[in-house]
Amino acid sequence: MTAETQVAVAFGVNGVAQRLEVGPGETLLRTLRDRLRLTGTKEGCVEGECGACTVLVDGKPVDACLFATAALDGRQVRTIEGLSGGGALGLLQQAFVDHGAVQCGFCTPGFLMTLTALLEENPSPPPSDVKEALAGNICRCTGYRQMIDAVAAVIAQGEPR
Amino acid sequence: MRFRRARTLDEALDLLAELGDEAQILAGGTDVMIQYLDGQIAPGTLVHIEGVEELAMASVNHRTTLGPLTTHRTLATDDAFATAHPALAASAGTVGGWQTQAVGTIGGNICNASPAADTAPPLLVADTEVTLTSRRGERRVPLTDFFLERRRTALEPDELLTAIDLDPLPTGAGEVYLKIGRRGAMEVALVGLAVRLGFAGDGTVASAGIALCSIAPTPRRMPDAEAALIGSRLESGALDAAAEALRAAASPIDDARASAAYRIRILRGLLERAALQCREAATR
Repeated sequence: MTAETQVAVAFGVNGVAQRLEVGPGETLLRTLRDRLRLTGTKEGCVEGECGACTVLVDGKPVDACLFATAALDGRQVRTIEGLSGGGALGLLQQAFVDHGAVQCGFCTPGFLMTLTALLEENPSPPPSDVKEALAGNICRCTGYRQMIDAVAAVIAQGEPR
Repeated sequence: MRFRRARTLDEALDLLAELGDEAQILAGGTDVMIQYLDGQIAPGTLVHIEGVEELAMASVNHRTTLGPLTTHRTLATDDAFATAHPALAASAGTVGGWQTQAVGTIGGNICNASPAADTAPPLLVADTEVTLTSRRGERRVPLTDFFLERRRTALEPDELLTAIDLDPLPTGAGEVYLKIGRRGAMEVALVGLAVRLGFAGDGTVASAGIALCSIAPTPRRMPDAEAALIGSRLESGALDAAAEALRAAASPIDDARASAAYRIRILRGLLERAALQCREAATR
């Protein structure tokens, strides 16, 4: 059995460069919440089922609970904290508020990150793509109708995010 | 535990030669990290290969070659793949959600050797061969011989899966992957079935590939069922005989998701649906 060794890793979080020494099996979720105090990313199932911890790595949605921080060298991470500029909500965030798409709010950051990735990939996805994109995010309060309405409103405005 | 980054294929093979079974390959991590966090595996070293460009190449030709780092998302959304490998594309689109598909790789899905590996049945009906490479050399193994038992493969401790070669869908043939789960998304297959059928000019079945997952300790081809369909026009008698061959070869388990009896019972209907969809796809 080899000893636990720390791994040097350099990556960006919401545009800010980070240089850390982490354990080989430390997850991005622990790094974000416990080291960087970015607690908007939520811990749900810790097995890749619920999507509450979704963040973007190089623009792609991933479950931070299953992502090794040591694997991030040279990559860019975006979290829910990166969606609002100077305290103002992004378009998608505001649309969630306007459409009553937030109830307890625990799943909301994950949904917003997945939808951000979707709208950056395709600013006007058909409704079937929206539903398919959200397969890996679970909400137990509102149902999904209000969220899908919120996305539709953003798409109708013709601007991503 | 340690963490080592391989940036090139050479570095990866050197690390495996040095570390042997102390090493656990890490690509997208969607299986490895779950197993590590759950205590199912306790590797000495994680060897991270996600940045090895030589393993990320993919090309569709008279024979398709996939680098093992090809992600499920690429397989599910790339138009060239969807045309040449519709069943594989469909299966990749059922592996977890976008978060899993975005980083989870086909090499990982194969090497994890889950009985329920969704991409395995479509790969098996496409006569897939895998290339296993080490500092000792390189060998090619048919995928049917790669899966040894549940979560155990033919990979030696110093070997790396470096290429996946498979036959595209020929002209005049159709293929499908049908997956039974309790819901439409984020589901582990209760049964997954891939069927690839080629048809002669008179409408008889000229070639047949049938493979299942979640029905035995490993995903597997079903040669007796294939033989029962060849020469038929998918009449009900031929489908009965093929389904009987599937049942004879199946050894499913009871678990929290479904009973063994249920998995057996749905085989006949699933096979018929798949075969008819193959015929429809082939004649379009």
